[in-house]
Order: sequence, then structure tokens, then C-alpha cells
Amino acid sequence: MDNRLLINLIPGDTFLHKLTGKTKVRTFLILLVYIIMSFDLRLILPLFILSIIGLVSVKPNWKVIRYFIIIIGAMNVLNIVLFWLADPAIGSMWCGGTTTVLFRVTERLYLSAETLWYLCVRFIKMMTSFMVSLVFILSITPSELAAGLYSIKVPYKICTIFSLAFRYIPDIGRDFQNIKVSLQTRGVELDPRKTSLGKRLKQNILILVPLITSSFDRVGNISNAMDLRGYGRGKTRTYYSEHEELKADKVFKVLQIILILFCVYWIITQNIMAETLNMWYPFS
Amino acid sequence: MSTPIVEFKNFGFKYKSQSAPTLHDINLTIFKGEKVLILGPSGSGKSTLANCINGLNPFSYDGVITGSCKVAGMETKDASIFALSKVVGTVLQDSDAQFVGLSVGEDIAFALENQSMPRKEMLPKVEWAASVVGMSDFLMHVPYELSGGQKQKVALAGVLHGDVDLLIFDEPLAALDPRMGMTAVELIDRIHKEQNKTVVIVEHRLEDVLHRSVDRIVLMNEGRIVYDGVPDELLASDLLTRYGIREPLYIKAMKYAGCKLTPDQNLSDIQGMDLSPFEDKLKQQQLVKLEKYVPRVGEEILKVQNVTFAYGKDPVLKNISFSVRKGEKVAFVGKNGAGKSTMAKLICGIIRPREGQVLINGTDYMKYSIKEIGEKIGYVMQNPNQMLVKDIIKDEVELAMLLRGKSREEIDEAVKKALKMCGLYPMRNWPVTAVSYGQKKRVTIASILVLQPDIIILDEPTAGQDYRHYTEIMEFLDELNREYGITIIFITHDMHLAIQYTDRAIVFSEGELVADDSVFRVLSNDEVIKRANLKQTSLYTLATRLGLDPEAYIEHFINYERMVRAHGQPAAD
Repeated sequence: MDNRLLINLIPGDTFLHKLTGKTKVRTFLILLVYIIMSFDLRLILPLFILSIIGLVSVKPNWKVIRYFIIIIGAMNVLNIVLFWLADPAIGSMWCGGTTTVLFRVTERLYLSAETLWYLCVRFIKMMTSFMVSLVFILSITPSELAAGLYSIKVPYKICTIFSLAFRYIPDIGRDFQNIKVSLQTRGVELDPRKTSLGKRLKQNILILVPLITSSFDRVGNISNAMDLRGYGRGKTRTYYSEHEELKADKVFKVLQIILILFCVYWIITQNIMAETLNMWYPFS
Repeated sequence: MSTPIVEFKNFGFKYKSQSAPTLHDINLTIFKGEKVLILGPSGSGKSTLANCINGLNPFSYDGVITGSCKVAGMETKDASIFALSKVVGTVLQDSDAQFVGLSVGEDIAFALENQSMPRKEMLPKVEWAASVVGMSDFLMHVPYELSGGQKQKVALAGVLHGDVDLLIFDEPLAALDPRMGMTAVELIDRIHKEQNKTVVIVEHRLEDVLHRSVDRIVLMNEGRIVYDGVPDELLASDLLTRYGIREPLYIKAMKYAGCKLTPDQNLSDIQGMDLSPFEDKLKQQQLVKLEKYVPRVGEEILKVQNVTFAYGKDPVLKNISFSVRKGEKVAFVGKNGAGKSTMAKLICGIIRPREGQVLINGTDYMKYSIKEIGEKIGYVMQNPNQMLVKDIIKDEVELAMLLRGKSREEIDEAVKKALKMCGLYPMRNWPVTAVSYGQKKRVTIASILVLQPDIIILDEPTAGQDYRHYTEIMEFLDELNREYGITIIFITHDMHLAIQYTDRAIVFSEGELVADDSVFRVLSNDEVIKRANLKQTSLYTLATRLGLDPEAYIEHFINYERMVRAHGQPAAD
């Protein structure tokens, strides 16, 4: 109904959208831990595929997110190239010490099968965390985010900041436009063809003065409106946007518990108790 | 009607930031189920009084209370804003800022969320409240999709929960177009009757509120109650003019005609009152010969030809043509979103037509930059706080000249002239923050006048102002027009303003120009009024009830009013 860029204000009607904010926030946090804890492709690849399925399932506005995916993908490619340039031997450290050179550019700079493996896994890992975040952002509304954070014991006054910010950012944008218009008619030149960047920046600062004053007025009004409806009265609060748990939420709850247990097991055995750096390398 | 819900006894209030008290000696009792209008010019303390009931004073705005104020038995100074919010629901003036939810449903539920009510109990209450105000079909809508009137309905629904006995409306009509305002007054009345709530309305637009009856009017001036009684007695008296409140037009017309008004004549109900005792006098008044007013206009300076404009696919302005002559006073009227502000932006060159032409002094304006157009056409925004960028009045006024790189002498001379025109010269070195809202408005006008434009466009010049300040600003603009021949275009939905101060109205509706005619002719055209969300004035009703031609009647009234403004009222015979 109101798919402005990335953030939805009104929940959509796909499977993931219909989960409660609590389920979304918790699942997201657990998955982040899951991604960070390992370099094991056997763990990451399934999630990567799931996140692609998730992304398709929320029926996003591809026009907008296409750019995001391309930009983030390109940044990550650049990132692993720099990693390789900085330390071509990095793969051997992770994959049990062997070095199978595929080709050599100079004496120092070579590409080994181990490094290639490591960098590929790294790339998929970073893309997975991006995709999971993207699905999370696309599937949640700011109000659900507030409710979800509240469910993990974040104080509600902090949660409110999220929903309020999304509520008023467009208003401030509109004020900005109005002020710009009035200054333009008074002679502030904002046309990039006619004034230099430095001058334009300086004149944009001129817009900030009234923008800040009028925003202060608004803040006063908002806080009065909230006080008058009893905001801040109690220690607890409920959320209208947080509907009752559906079957899917209960299934997710079980999955979350299994995943938490698995993460705890993995972190203890593979990270804390491990003697050396290692990752799953099928070709050794 | 016997249990008091609000009781002020020898009450006074002084804001911490001010040296003198804002309210003095308030003795006022409001009974359960009453509908009370608190009337007064701005600065009279009417909003302060309302805020003393809902607890914003002294809990949000720090201050000192003397005497006693009891709301539903609670002494307010010992209560809290939260305890009071359970009994008192307040709908604030700024319908946009008070919309804190991201959807209609969420906003209505906000108070319930804060009470930690389980969602299961919340849902039926939200649905009920939405249905009471007629917003049931909008629960999933975001605020950006709603009109001002709809946002206000949501705000009302948001305070309508079970325990709330008293509803306070702080200037509910300020941001609404005439038709929406009428609907709002009707809604308030319906809620008052159907839900048995006590209603307190704070307003200075008496005529609009009286569209539905009120039990009592409390008139305030300089922090004191100067009248507390039934509407009819107030209308018959001369208190309204004395304290700077605009009288309903039909009352004014009756007073002009020399009718003797007494409190027992049901004066607040123009439809129901008995006109027979006044008929002769009112008809006689029509025979008074008046100088026909002919606006002094010069050559055509602005011509808009078949202009079409669209932001995306759907046109916001469709094939618009009109022209403006030098020295004219023109009003752009129409409901919000009808295209009048877009038209103003287009004239200023901020957006340019897709099709058609705009000619300034006969030249197609496409070759001018915004800056160059700004020297010919000035644009004054509604909210002066959105225009003021400098600390000192003089600096603000000279900004436009500085940006054009004029010489110091040239600047000083132009600034001096603009400041003098606006009566700001003695204050030229004052900080902008130290002056009143009306004066700020003047500063913004001066900062436009400094470029000596031929035309100035003013967006809702009187929004949020009481009648006295309103008159002051409009008289000032009238003078600019008269003395300096500046052409003025008002963007407004205030039909009183259009009647009194303009020669011509250009009416927009859904992006089309639906009428371009003298104001009285527009206002006697039912078809146009409906399409543009305007409201029939009470003069129209009065004329119809008397069996007179409304167009001629309104025209005569306007001319008479003009004469009174110029020469004072002739002594009654």
C-alpha cells in the first residue's frame, strides 16, 4: 500500500510480513550470531539460499533494491580483492597449512586454492549477512521494530525513538523543501550549473536555521500530544501493531530455540575450545 | 447539568518564563454535559486556561498556580498530567504534530498502549472510536494519505476512550478549510450529544462554531473572564467588537441596518431566528445608495495561458488560464490539494509548466531564472518561522539584496524604504526572536518588498491569528496595495478574508480553475461552492430568508463595509 523505498509503514501480506515484530527481531539477532560465529560454508550456504528465498517472498520493489544489491556486491568484491592483496597466504592459515598455488603474479603475490576458498566463503558470508538484514528491513515496519525491541527488554522510550523518527522524517523533508523554495525566490541560487559546490553548501546551511527552529516548535507539540495521552505514565506498555502470535510464530519460536542451542554448542566447541584457526575445507 | 466537572476558584496562573501572571481571578464552573466555548483574542489567556484543565500547565509548561482548580474532583496542582489525561481528552490545534502513530489505528490506540492494555481489549475500542468519528475504513492508512480534517478526526478518536468525560478542542478550526471546519463543528456536536461528553472548545472564530449551538460562551480578555453566559446575550451586546472578536456576518449586517438586537431573539441560530421584526430595516438598508467600488487597475502584468503541470503522471494543474492586472487584489481559493499552492509555485518559477505559457509583463518567463522572477514576484510563506534566517531584522530584510550583489548604498536605501513601508523602521536593529508573530510576518513581507516586486503572493497570511491581528495585517496589505500599487495575490481558504479584502477570486478544484469572478458572485454560486469545499456565508442565508437576491445582497454588504472602513459608520437615524 505504501511501499516508499525500503521502509514499509503498513505491514505487507506475505508470510514473513505476517510474523510478529518479536519473532522478526529475535530471529534476526540469532541469525546474525549464527553468521558471525563461523566460516563454515556448510552453515552459511543454506542460510544464503534461504535469505534469497526470503527476499523473493516479501515481494520487494526490485527497482530500488537492485541498486542496493549491486552496490553492496561490488563493495564486497573490492573488499576481498584488497584482502587478497594484503595477505595472499591468508587461506593457508585457515585451511590447515597447505598451499596449493594456482598461479603466481609476482614472488609475493600468488593465488592459492586455499586462499580462493577462504575469500569465496568470506564473500558469501558477507552477502548473507547483507541479505538477511535486507529481508529483515523489508519485512518489518518501524512500529513492529519498536515492539520487537521492547520484547527483548529494551526500554520503551528508546523503542519509541525508532517509530517516531520514521513518522516525522517525511515532515521534516517537506519543511526543508518549503524553506528552500522561499529562499530560492529571495535569490539563493541552488542551481548546480550556476554556483559552485562550496557556495551551494554554504547556502544550504542557511536553510538549516529555519528548519531547526520550526522543528523545535514541532517537537514541543509532539511531546505535549504524547503527554496528554499518557505516554511515560507506566513502566510497561503494549503495542497495537504487535498482533497475537500465529502458528508460524510458534514454529519460529521452536526453531529459534534449536538454533540458539546449536550456536552455543558451536561457539563453545569450535571457537572457544578450538586450538587453531580452522575452517571446513573439503579439498585438503 | 448539576455536577460540576471543572471548578476554578479565584484561580490565577503565571508562567515561570514570564514576569506577570497570564490568568487572573478566574471563577468558572463547567458542569457535566455542558458545551462551552472559550472565546478570546490571542494572548487573552484562553489556551492557557484550557491547558490548566488538561494539566499541560503546570506539568509541561512550568508555572505558579494561585487559587484552586478542580477537575473531576481532583485539585489539578496536586494531580499529574497522567491522572488528568484519564478524565480529560485534548485535541490540539496542530493536527499533524499530534499524529504520533504510523497508521490511523496505531494513533487511535496510543493512549491505550500507554495504559498497557492487552491488544485483545484494545482492538474493539479502537474500532469503536474510529467508527464514532467515521474513520473505520482508514485504520490501515498512513498519516501522509490523510487530509487535515481526517487527521483531526483521528486525534479526536484517540482521546475518546471510556473514562474521558471532558473533551477540550484547542482551536479546532485553525487548519481546516471552510467545509471541513463545518464538518468538524458538526462532529463535535454529535459527539457531545451521543456520547454525553462535556465539551470545551477554544476558538476565536465565533461564527463557525455557532454553526451548531453551544450552551455557554466564556469570553476572555487579558487573562480575565469578561463575559460568561448564553450566546444570544453576547451577540446582542457590543462586547465582541470591543474585545476584537469578529462578529458573525449576519449579526454585523443586522447591526449595520440599525436593527435592535435583544438576547431573547434566538440570535445564535440564523436558520431558526424570527426575522420578521427586522425585515423592514434590513430591506431598507438595501436601498441605501453606495458609491460603487471600482478597483483601480492598470495594465496586465501576469498572464497564465493554458498551463498544465504534473509532478508524476497525474496532472496537478489542468489547462489553467487567467490574467492579473497591476494593482489588483486576487484570492486563490479552494480546498487543500486543489492546486492553489502549486499554482503559486508555478508563478514563482519554482516549477515550470509542462504545457502552456506564463507571461510576466508580456514576456514568456521561461528565460528567467527563479532569482530573476523573484525580483518581479515575491512569495511570502504561511509560517514566518520557515522564512527567517537571520538574527537581526535589518539583516533579514537586506538578505535578498545582498545575494544580488547590490552596492551598499543601494541596499541601505531599499532596506530603509521596505522597513518604513512595513512600519518596522524603529525596530530595525531588534533581534527577530524578540518580536511578535504578526511582526515576524511583517519582517518576512519587508524582506520580499525590498526587491520592489510588482506582485506579492501571500500564502494564508492570517492563519493562526485572531481578528485584531488579522485586521492589522490585512489593513497593512491593503495600504501597500493602495499607496504603492502593489498587486497582491492571496492563497486562502478564509472566505471572510476574500470577501473583505479582495476584488476577485480564482477558485481551484481538483487542479482545475472552476471560477474566476468577483467574490460575491463566486459566493452566490452553489455549484462552485460545492466543488471548491467552500461554505455558504451567513449573508447568503440571510438574503435567501429575506427573499432578496444573494448576489446583490452580498455585494451591497461588501460595499457598505468598505465605506465603513474608510469613513466610519454613519450615525444611526
